[in-house]
Amino acid sequence: MAAGAGKQQPAARERTGRADAGADRTNGVVNSNAGGLIDLDFVRGLIAALDASGIDSLEINRGATRIRISKTPPPATAAATPPAPVHAAPMNNAVALPAPGPAPAAEPASPPRSNLTDVKSPMVGTFYRAPAPEAPPYVEVGSHIAKGQTLCILEAMKLMNELESEVDGIVREVLVENADPVEYGQVLFRIEPAGSQA
Amino acid sequence: MFRKILIANRGEIALRIIRACRDLGIRTVAVYSEADRESLHVRFADEDVCIGPPPARDSYLNIPRIIAAAEVTGAEAIHPGYGFLAENAEFAEICQRSDIVFIGPTAEQIRTMGDKSVARRTMAAIGIPTVPGSEGALEDAGDALGLAREIGFPVLIKAAAGGGGKGMRVAQDADVFPTQLQMAQNEARSAFGDPSVYLEKYLARPRHIEIQLIGDTHGRIEHLGERECSIQRRHQKLIEEAPSTALTPALRTEMGEAAKKGAAAIGYRSAGTIEFLLDQDGSFYFMEMNTRIQVEHPVTELVTGVDIVKEQIRIAAGEHLSLPKEWSCGLRGHAIECRINAEDPLRNFAPSPGMITTFHPPGGPGVRLDTHAYAGYVVPPHYDSLVAKLLTQGATRAEAIARMRFALESFVIQGIQTTAPFLLELMNDPEFISGDIDTKFVERRMARRAAA
Repeated sequence: MAAGAGKQQPAARERTGRADAGADRTNGVVNSNAGGLIDLDFVRGLIAALDASGIDSLEINRGATRIRISKTPPPATAAATPPAPVHAAPMNNAVALPAPGPAPAAEPASPPRSNLTDVKSPMVGTFYRAPAPEAPPYVEVGSHIAKGQTLCILEAMKLMNELESEVDGIVREVLVENADPVEYGQVLFRIEPAGSQA
Repeated sequence: MFRKILIANRGEIALRIIRACRDLGIRTVAVYSEADRESLHVRFADEDVCIGPPPARDSYLNIPRIIAAAEVTGAEAIHPGYGFLAENAEFAEICQRSDIVFIGPTAEQIRTMGDKSVARRTMAAIGIPTVPGSEGALEDAGDALGLAREIGFPVLIKAAAGGGGKGMRVAQDADVFPTQLQMAQNEARSAFGDPSVYLEKYLARPRHIEIQLIGDTHGRIEHLGERECSIQRRHQKLIEEAPSTALTPALRTEMGEAAKKGAAAIGYRSAGTIEFLLDQDGSFYFMEMNTRIQVEHPVTELVTGVDIVKEQIRIAAGEHLSLPKEWSCGLRGHAIECRINAEDPLRNFAPSPGMITTFHPPGGPGVRLDTHAYAGYVVPPHYDSLVAKLLTQGATRAEAIARMRFALESFVIQGIQTTAPFLLELMNDPEFISGDIDTKFVERRMARRAAA
């Protein structure tokens, strides 16, 4: 999902031919205008700086807006305790994250990423990592899972829906955080199917 | 007033609703199918939620996903636009149960007016004239003639199992009636497997005149005058205008009051339209009521200065109608709307989806364009073919027509075929210019062209 003032201008939204084609849609991150314009040049500058450095991730807080940019997705444990500003109000203050820098995210030559299966949300709702607030998450990065195993809960209209895996394999990436709103088609997890190259 | 509204629609009407929300300082949530990722309504809304794959039933008609989208974004109200779920009573009810305000009438009102025969009976019961006809299918020939005399010749004999303008015969007088009835029954049996027919008064050159209504939740209902919608092809409107050349101020008042009475009888609120058939002798008959904002609402906005979509939002928020207390609907100037569709008029209006490569819209005084199209936009094949609504306004009908001519000429759309050239021909048609039009106008014109 994306928000108005923070939306990229038409040229930046063109997807053909760019390495991160579709990445801002499919890795489940959310741009949000939390009360002020997000300066795109500023964000691009951060991405460029991060890309050129050996740092893995960078986080900046500006008032009610928090921007985090990382080359690898956040690990499961960090996602279990979301910081306060994200949930100050529903959706409005959700964390903003444009696609991670062009090179790492969708580099087709990188074997570990190319054989991952995307688990996409089949519905609109709220994502929960565990069956109950105090319970441990269904899966973490590194979890071995079997076909039919529950990966998460998607809640909508007061109904809890369990999302089941369609493959056996290992969870390699968790792309959303607990209590994040998710849209149809949003990638929630990336799974390395059993039997594929490690 | 709402802080956030979700728009359960797409295309030009979604943009229209966003504009009204922006006027009112309300944040907007767009929902979209995967086919509409690059749509303007997605780009310009404050937030957006993908709700499914391209087919409408999996996206714009998918009630759980739309409600869920409102929930996760915290939208307090949903504007359904037109089409899709706009007249879905179940959707209106689910919104209510989910504590979301449905911007429109009540579910009950949608249901009542949605059943066309219930609507007719409801209107007839309060004295609004409906097209005279038999109550149901005819029982026997003897009765039929008596009934036909009651209705008044000429009479239309219609197959009960027919539809889409098929299975109809006209009986001009009592002498030919028995023969026509027999033939109609035979035709109905062979075409539809059912010889049942019913009778309706035949209007030779009816005009489709609709009255725009607006009502609040405090019991006030007003009418915003008429729209002339007789220029249709296969029952699809092509051109709408206001005022109608057929209405005198007295007739406008009479029809307006009848429409208000009909709406008030069911306690109607929000925007709605009552469609009438107007006969050449000035008698008018209720056809149906549309319990939603309509495609052609800008025509009325131009001649009354009322922003109908903003009124809908205000009404849904519980406010009073913003019209002056002493509202007598006078229409200022003349407005015309041309619906520009992605269809090829030279190939029997075959759909023409695809990428618009060049898009230069018309402008200047008295020109309004409601569109979601742009250069580079791909018109998807999954939804209706409306690309743009082009409106012109002038002090007189002649001025509005002259402006529309040049607006159509200077409107450059390349990459797809559109009905713009066909509409331009209509703007130059002597019969259209004379104002003496009716619902058979396009049919007659195309027959003349074919014969030439």
